[in-house]
Amino acid sequence: MESGHTLHLSDKQEAGGMIKKILIVDDSPIARKMLKSCLPKDQGFEFHEACDGKEGVEKYRELCPDLTFMDLTMPVMTGYEALEEIIKHDKNALIIVVTADVQLKAIKIVLDSGAYMVLRKPLKKEDLQVALLKAQDTLQKVEK
Amino acid sequence: MTEIHKEEILSGEEVEILQEIMNIAFGKSAADLADVIDTHVVLNIPFINVMQVTDLPVYIREHVKDYMNISIVEQHFWGCFKGDALLVFSSGSGKELIRILQHGDQADMESDPVEILERETLMEVGNILIGACVGKVAELLRDVVTYTPPLIILERYYEDAISDNHFSPDKTAIVLKTDFSFTDGNVTGLLFLITSNDSIQWLKEALRVFISQYE
Repeated sequence: MESGHTLHLSDKQEAGGMIKKILIVDDSPIARKMLKSCLPKDQGFEFHEACDGKEGVEKYRELCPDLTFMDLTMPVMTGYEALEEIIKHDKNALIIVVTADVQLKAIKIVLDSGAYMVLRKPLKKEDLQVALLKAQDTLQKVEK
Repeated sequence: MTEIHKEEILSGEEVEILQEIMNIAFGKSAADLADVIDTHVVLNIPFINVMQVTDLPVYIREHVKDYMNISIVEQHFWGCFKGDALLVFSSGSGKELIRILQHGDQADMESDPVEILERETLMEVGNILIGACVGKVAELLRDVVTYTPPLIILERYYEDAISDNHFSPDKTAIVLKTDFSFTDGNVTGLLFLITSNDSIQWLKEALRVFISQYE
Protein backbone atom coordinates (compact mmCIF):
# COMPACT_ATOMS: atom_id res chain seq x y z
CA MET A 1 0.00 0.00 0.00
CA GLU A 2 1.34 3.41 -0.90
CA SER A 3 0.91 5.92 1.89
CA GLY A 4 1.79 9.59 1.68
CA HIS A 5 1.47 10.26 5.38
CA THR A 6 1.38 8.38 8.64
CA LEU A 7 -1.52 8.47 11.04
CA HIS A 8 -1.13 7.32 14.59
CA LEU A 9 -3.73 5.34 16.44
CA SER A 10 -3.72 7.80 19.31
CA ASP A 11 -5.14 10.45 16.93
CA LYS A 12 -8.20 8.31 16.37
CA GLN A 13 -8.77 6.62 19.68
CA GLU A 14 -12.06 8.36 20.29
CA ALA A 15 -13.50 7.30 16.96
CA GLY A 16 -11.99 3.83 16.72
CA GLY A 17 -10.95 1.18 19.17
CA MET A 18 -13.45 -1.38 17.99
CA ILE A 19 -11.05 -3.87 16.49
CA LYS A 20 -10.19 -6.29 19.24
CA LYS A 21 -10.11 -9.77 17.80
CA ILE A 22 -7.53 -10.27 15.04
CA LEU A 23 -6.96 -13.45 13.04
CA ILE A 24 -3.62 -13.86 11.25
CA VAL A 25 -3.55 -16.54 8.54
CA ASP A 26 -0.05 -17.27 7.26
CA ASP A 27 1.91 -20.49 6.97
CA SER A 28 5.13 -18.77 8.03
CA PRO A 29 5.56 -18.32 11.79
CA ILE A 30 8.10 -15.61 11.04
CA ALA A 31 5.60 -13.73 8.87
CA ARG A 32 3.00 -13.94 11.66
CA LYS A 33 5.57 -12.66 14.15
CA MET A 34 6.58 -9.81 11.79
CA LEU A 35 2.95 -8.79 11.36
CA LYS A 36 2.18 -8.80 15.08
CA SER A 37 5.29 -6.74 15.78
CA CYS A 38 4.02 -4.03 13.41
CA LEU A 39 0.72 -3.67 15.26
CA PRO A 40 0.42 -1.25 18.20
CA LYS A 41 1.07 -2.92 21.53
CA ASP A 42 -1.28 -0.78 23.61
CA GLN A 43 -4.60 -1.57 21.94
CA GLY A 44 -5.31 -4.80 23.78
CA PHE A 45 -5.72 -6.85 20.63
CA GLU A 46 -6.65 -10.47 21.02
CA PHE A 47 -4.58 -12.44 18.47
CA HIS A 48 -5.49 -15.74 16.89
CA GLU A 49 -3.38 -17.52 14.31
CA ALA A 50 -3.87 -20.08 11.56
CA CYS A 51 -1.15 -21.69 9.49
CA ASP A 52 -3.04 -22.44 6.28
CA GLY A 53 -6.18 -21.33 4.47
CA LYS A 54 -8.30 -24.23 5.70
CA GLU A 55 -7.47 -23.56 9.33
CA GLY A 56 -8.06 -19.87 8.64
CA VAL A 57 -11.60 -20.54 7.39
CA GLU A 58 -12.31 -22.82 10.36
CA LYS A 59 -11.02 -20.26 12.88
CA TYR A 60 -12.94 -17.47 11.15
CA ARG A 61 -16.20 -19.43 11.51
CA GLU A 62 -15.41 -20.23 15.14
CA LEU A 63 -14.13 -16.82 16.28
CA CYS A 64 -15.77 -14.19 14.00
CA PRO A 65 -12.72 -11.91 14.22
CA ASP A 66 -13.08 -8.15 13.70
CA LEU A 67 -10.17 -8.18 11.28
CA THR A 68 -8.35 -10.92 9.39
CA PHE A 69 -4.89 -10.76 7.82
CA MET A 70 -4.50 -13.31 5.03
CA ASP A 71 -1.43 -14.52 3.15
CA LEU A 72 -2.01 -15.94 -0.35
CA THR A 73 0.66 -18.60 -0.92
CA MET A 74 -0.11 -21.29 1.62
CA PRO A 75 -0.32 -25.08 1.77
CA VAL A 76 -3.55 -27.12 2.08
CA MET A 77 -5.77 -24.21 1.02
CA THR A 78 -4.46 -21.03 -0.60
CA GLY A 79 -5.36 -17.56 0.58
CA TYR A 80 -7.37 -17.04 -2.62
CA GLU A 81 -9.60 -19.99 -1.74
CA ALA A 82 -9.82 -19.13 1.95
CA LEU A 83 -10.82 -15.55 1.10
CA GLU A 84 -13.66 -16.77 -1.10
CA GLU A 85 -14.85 -19.21 1.57
CA ILE A 86 -14.86 -16.56 4.28
CA ILE A 87 -16.64 -13.96 2.12
CA LYS A 88 -19.22 -16.60 1.21
CA HIS A 89 -19.79 -17.14 4.95
CA ASP A 90 -19.68 -13.44 5.92
CA LYS A 91 -19.92 -10.84 3.18
CA ASN A 92 -18.90 -8.10 5.64
CA ALA A 93 -15.66 -9.83 6.64
CA LEU A 94 -12.78 -7.39 6.86
CA ILE A 95 -9.86 -9.19 5.28
CA ILE A 96 -6.54 -7.53 4.60
CA VAL A 97 -4.41 -9.60 2.26
CA VAL A 98 -0.73 -9.44 3.20
CA THR A 99 1.28 -10.95 0.42
CA ALA A 100 4.58 -11.13 -1.38
CA ASP A 101 2.64 -11.79 -4.59
CA VAL A 102 2.34 -8.21 -5.78
CA GLN A 103 1.40 -8.94 -9.39
CA LEU A 104 -1.42 -6.67 -10.55
CA LYS A 105 -3.50 -9.68 -11.58
CA ALA A 106 -3.14 -11.22 -8.13
CA ILE A 107 -4.20 -7.96 -6.49
CA LYS A 108 -7.20 -7.62 -8.83
CA ILE A 109 -8.29 -11.21 -8.14
CA VAL A 110 -8.32 -10.76 -4.36
CA LEU A 111 -9.99 -7.34 -4.44
CA ASP A 112 -12.66 -8.74 -6.79
CA SER A 113 -13.11 -11.62 -4.35
CA GLY A 114 -13.92 -9.20 -1.53
CA ALA A 115 -10.61 -8.46 0.16
CA TYR A 116 -10.72 -5.14 1.98
CA MET A 117 -7.18 -4.15 1.12
CA VAL A 118 -3.87 -5.57 -0.05
CA LEU A 119 -0.60 -4.89 1.75
CA ARG A 120 2.72 -6.02 0.35
CA LYS A 121 5.40 -7.89 2.23
CA PRO A 122 7.65 -6.97 3.89
CA LEU A 123 5.21 -4.95 5.94
CA LYS A 124 5.91 -1.39 6.98
CA LYS A 125 4.60 -0.33 10.37
CA GLU A 126 3.18 2.93 9.02
CA ASP A 127 1.28 1.16 6.21
CA LEU A 128 -0.19 -1.28 8.67
CA GLN A 129 -1.24 1.48 11.06
CA VAL A 130 -3.00 3.40 8.28
CA ALA A 131 -4.70 0.19 7.19
CA LEU A 132 -5.81 -0.47 10.74
CA LEU A 133 -7.32 2.99 11.07
CA LYS A 134 -9.25 2.59 7.82
CA ALA A 135 -10.48 -0.81 8.92
CA GLN A 136 -11.60 0.63 12.25
CA ASP A 137 -13.56 3.39 10.51
CA THR A 138 -15.15 0.87 8.16
CA LEU A 139 -16.07 -1.43 11.00
CA GLN A 140 -17.64 1.45 12.90
CA LYS A 141 -19.76 2.41 9.87
CA VAL A 142 -20.89 -1.19 9.38
CA GLU A 143 -21.92 -1.44 13.04
CA LYS A 144 -23.83 1.86 12.88
CA MET B 1 23.53 -38.84 -0.22
CA THR B 2 25.37 -37.37 2.76
CA GLU B 3 22.93 -36.34 5.43
CA ILE B 4 23.35 -32.80 6.74
CA HIS B 5 20.96 -31.52 9.33
CA LYS B 6 19.87 -27.99 8.51
CA GLU B 7 20.16 -27.12 12.18
CA GLU B 8 23.93 -27.67 12.07
CA ILE B 9 24.25 -24.79 9.62
CA LEU B 10 21.17 -22.65 10.22
CA SER B 11 18.79 -22.65 13.18
CA GLY B 12 15.11 -23.40 12.65
CA GLU B 13 14.31 -19.70 13.00
CA GLU B 14 17.03 -18.73 10.49
CA VAL B 15 15.57 -21.18 7.97
CA GLU B 16 12.09 -19.70 8.49
CA ILE B 17 13.39 -16.15 8.04
CA LEU B 18 15.24 -17.14 4.88
CA GLN B 19 12.11 -18.87 3.57
CA GLU B 20 10.05 -15.71 4.13
CA ILE B 21 12.72 -13.58 2.47
CA MET B 22 12.74 -15.93 -0.53
CA ASN B 23 8.94 -15.72 -0.64
CA ILE B 24 9.09 -11.92 -0.73
CA ALA B 25 11.90 -11.91 -3.28
CA PHE B 26 10.25 -14.31 -5.71
CA GLY B 27 6.98 -12.41 -5.37
CA LYS B 28 8.85 -9.30 -6.47
CA SER B 29 10.47 -11.05 -9.44
CA ALA B 30 7.14 -12.54 -10.55
CA ALA B 31 5.59 -9.06 -10.44
CA ASP B 32 8.49 -7.65 -12.47
CA LEU B 33 8.01 -10.37 -15.09
CA ALA B 34 4.24 -9.88 -15.13
CA ASP B 35 4.88 -6.21 -15.94
CA VAL B 36 6.80 -7.24 -19.04
CA ILE B 37 4.61 -10.08 -20.28
CA ASP B 38 0.90 -10.10 -19.79
CA THR B 39 0.59 -13.17 -17.62
CA HIS B 40 0.08 -14.24 -14.03
CA VAL B 41 2.85 -16.25 -12.45
CA VAL B 42 1.47 -18.76 -9.96
CA LEU B 43 3.85 -18.95 -7.01
CA ASN B 44 4.37 -21.84 -4.67
CA ILE B 45 5.85 -22.05 -1.20
CA PRO B 46 9.64 -21.73 -1.23
CA PHE B 47 11.74 -24.39 0.40
CA ILE B 48 15.18 -24.19 2.01
CA ASN B 49 17.57 -27.10 2.18
CA VAL B 50 21.17 -27.56 3.28
CA MET B 51 23.39 -30.20 1.69
CA GLN B 52 26.85 -31.08 0.47
CA VAL B 53 27.53 -29.53 -2.92
CA THR B 54 28.36 -32.99 -4.24
CA ASP B 55 24.73 -33.96 -3.59
CA LEU B 56 23.31 -30.98 -5.44
CA PRO B 57 23.16 -32.53 -8.93
CA VAL B 58 21.16 -35.49 -7.60
CA TYR B 59 18.86 -33.15 -5.66
CA ILE B 60 18.22 -30.92 -8.66
CA ARG B 61 17.73 -33.86 -11.04
CA GLU B 62 15.20 -35.33 -8.61
CA HIS B 63 13.16 -32.14 -8.78
CA VAL B 64 13.25 -31.72 -12.56
CA LYS B 65 13.10 -35.32 -13.75
CA ASP B 66 9.41 -35.10 -14.68
CA TYR B 67 10.25 -32.43 -17.25
CA MET B 68 12.55 -34.87 -19.13
CA ASN B 69 14.08 -32.18 -21.33
CA ILE B 70 14.91 -28.90 -19.65
CA SER B 71 16.35 -25.49 -20.40
CA ILE B 72 18.50 -23.76 -17.82
CA VAL B 73 19.41 -20.13 -17.33
CA GLU B 74 22.32 -19.83 -14.93
CA GLN B 75 23.88 -16.75 -13.37
CA HIS B 76 26.55 -16.35 -10.75
CA PHE B 77 26.10 -13.54 -8.30
CA TRP B 78 28.44 -12.14 -5.74
CA GLY B 79 28.45 -9.67 -2.91
CA CYS B 80 28.43 -10.75 0.72
CA PHE B 81 25.60 -12.97 -0.48
CA LYS B 82 27.13 -15.05 -3.26
CA GLY B 83 26.41 -18.16 -5.21
CA ASP B 84 24.64 -19.53 -8.27
CA ALA B 85 21.12 -18.99 -9.52
CA LEU B 86 19.72 -21.79 -11.63
CA LEU B 87 16.41 -21.22 -13.35
CA VAL B 88 15.14 -24.47 -14.81
CA PHE B 89 12.32 -24.43 -17.36
CA SER B 90 10.25 -27.37 -18.50
CA SER B 91 10.57 -28.57 -22.09
CA GLY B 92 8.88 -26.29 -24.60
CA SER B 93 8.81 -23.30 -22.24
CA GLY B 94 11.01 -21.23 -24.55
CA LYS B 95 8.65 -21.57 -27.51
CA GLU B 96 5.66 -20.99 -25.25
CA LEU B 97 7.22 -17.82 -23.87
CA ILE B 98 7.84 -16.54 -27.41
CA ARG B 99 4.17 -17.16 -28.17
CA ILE B 100 3.06 -15.30 -25.02
CA LEU B 101 5.42 -12.40 -25.69
CA GLN B 102 4.21 -12.10 -29.28
CA HIS B 103 0.57 -12.46 -28.18
CA GLY B 104 0.20 -15.59 -30.30
CA ASP B 105 1.53 -13.83 -33.42
CA GLN B 106 3.66 -16.27 -35.42
CA ALA B 107 5.12 -13.73 -37.87
CA ASP B 108 8.34 -12.89 -36.03
CA MET B 109 8.97 -16.52 -35.23
CA GLU B 110 9.33 -17.17 -38.92
CA SER B 111 11.80 -14.35 -39.55
CA ASP B 112 14.48 -15.63 -37.14
CA PRO B 113 15.57 -19.17 -36.42
CA VAL B 114 13.39 -20.37 -33.55
CA GLU B 115 16.38 -21.58 -31.56
CA ILE B 116 17.90 -18.10 -31.47
CA LEU B 117 14.60 -16.52 -30.44
CA GLU B 118 14.08 -19.19 -27.82
CA ARG B 119 17.54 -18.69 -26.41
CA GLU B 120 17.13 -14.90 -26.28
CA THR B 121 13.66 -15.12 -24.76
CA LEU B 122 14.71 -17.54 -22.03
CA MET B 123 17.76 -15.42 -21.27
CA GLU B 124 15.66 -12.28 -20.98
CA VAL B 125 12.98 -13.91 -18.83
CA GLY B 126 15.69 -15.61 -16.76
CA ASN B 127 17.53 -12.36 -16.32
CA ILE B 128 14.38 -10.67 -14.99
CA LEU B 129 13.41 -13.49 -12.64
CA ILE B 130 16.91 -14.11 -11.30
CA GLY B 131 17.91 -10.45 -11.11
CA ALA B 132 14.77 -9.35 -9.29
CA CYS B 133 14.79 -12.31 -6.92
CA VAL B 134 18.48 -12.27 -6.00
CA GLY B 135 18.44 -8.47 -5.92
CA LYS B 136 15.51 -8.44 -3.49
CA VAL B 137 17.11 -11.06 -1.22
CA ALA B 138 20.28 -8.95 -1.19
CA GLU B 139 18.33 -5.72 -0.58
CA LEU B 140 16.41 -7.21 2.35
CA LEU B 141 19.70 -8.43 3.80
CA ARG B 142 21.32 -5.02 3.18
CA ASP B 143 23.74 -6.26 0.56
CA VAL B 144 24.46 -5.41 -3.06
CA VAL B 145 25.29 -8.12 -5.57
CA THR B 146 26.88 -8.21 -9.02
CA TYR B 147 25.97 -10.74 -11.68
CA THR B 148 27.74 -12.55 -14.48
CA PRO B 149 25.91 -12.55 -17.82
CA PRO B 150 23.40 -15.41 -18.03
CA LEU B 151 24.47 -18.73 -19.46
CA ILE B 152 21.93 -20.94 -21.15
CA ILE B 153 21.49 -24.64 -21.74
CA LEU B 154 18.70 -25.17 -24.23
CA GLU B 155 16.40 -28.20 -24.36
CA ARG B 156 18.66 -30.92 -23.07
CA TYR B 157 17.85 -34.21 -21.33
CA TYR B 158 17.83 -33.41 -17.61
CA GLU B 159 20.54 -35.90 -16.65
CA ASP B 160 22.92 -34.41 -19.20
CA ALA B 161 22.02 -30.82 -18.36
CA ILE B 162 22.95 -31.20 -14.67
CA SER B 163 26.27 -32.98 -14.71
CA ASP B 164 27.92 -34.40 -11.59
CA ASN B 165 30.74 -31.85 -11.76
CA HIS B 166 28.49 -28.84 -12.31
CA PHE B 167 29.42 -27.35 -8.92
CA SER B 168 32.71 -27.15 -7.05
CA PRO B 169 32.76 -30.19 -4.78
CA ASP B 170 34.20 -29.18 -1.42
CA LYS B 171 31.43 -27.04 -0.03
CA THR B 172 28.14 -27.04 1.79
CA ALA B 173 25.27 -25.46 -0.06
CA ILE B 174 22.19 -23.67 1.14
CA VAL B 175 19.56 -24.23 -1.51
CA LEU B 176 16.56 -21.95 -1.82
CA LYS B 177 14.04 -23.54 -4.16
CA THR B 178 10.75 -22.29 -5.47
CA ASP B 179 8.57 -23.58 -8.27
CA PHE B 180 6.22 -21.63 -10.46
CA SER B 181 3.88 -21.85 -13.42
CA PHE B 182 2.16 -19.39 -15.74
CA THR B 183 -1.62 -19.28 -15.95
CA ASP B 184 -1.43 -18.54 -19.68
CA GLY B 185 0.51 -21.15 -21.54
CA ASN B 186 2.35 -24.24 -20.56
CA VAL B 187 5.36 -22.79 -18.75
CA THR B 188 6.59 -24.28 -15.51
CA GLY B 189 9.92 -24.17 -13.78
CA LEU B 190 12.01 -24.02 -10.66
CA LEU B 191 14.43 -21.47 -9.34
CA PHE B 192 17.34 -22.65 -7.24
CA LEU B 193 19.56 -20.18 -5.42
CA ILE B 194 22.66 -21.98 -4.25
CA THR B 195 24.89 -20.17 -1.83
CA SER B 196 27.97 -21.83 -0.43
CA ASN B 197 29.21 -21.94 3.15
CA ASP B 198 31.51 -18.98 2.40
CA SER B 199 28.41 -16.84 2.93
CA ILE B 200 27.05 -18.59 5.99
CA GLN B 201 28.51 -16.45 8.79
CA TRP B 202 27.53 -13.28 6.97
CA LEU B 203 24.09 -14.73 6.20
CA LYS B 204 23.41 -15.63 9.84
CA GLU B 205 24.26 -12.10 10.96
CA ALA B 206 22.23 -10.53 8.12
CA LEU B 207 19.21 -12.65 9.07
CA ARG B 208 19.57 -11.57 12.69
CA VAL B 209 19.66 -7.90 11.66
CA PHE B 210 16.65 -8.37 9.36
CA ILE B 211 14.43 -9.93 12.01
CA SER B 212 15.56 -7.51 14.72
CA GLN B 213 13.50 -4.81 12.94
CA TYR B 214 10.43 -6.78 13.94
CA GLU B 215 11.24 -7.48 17.58
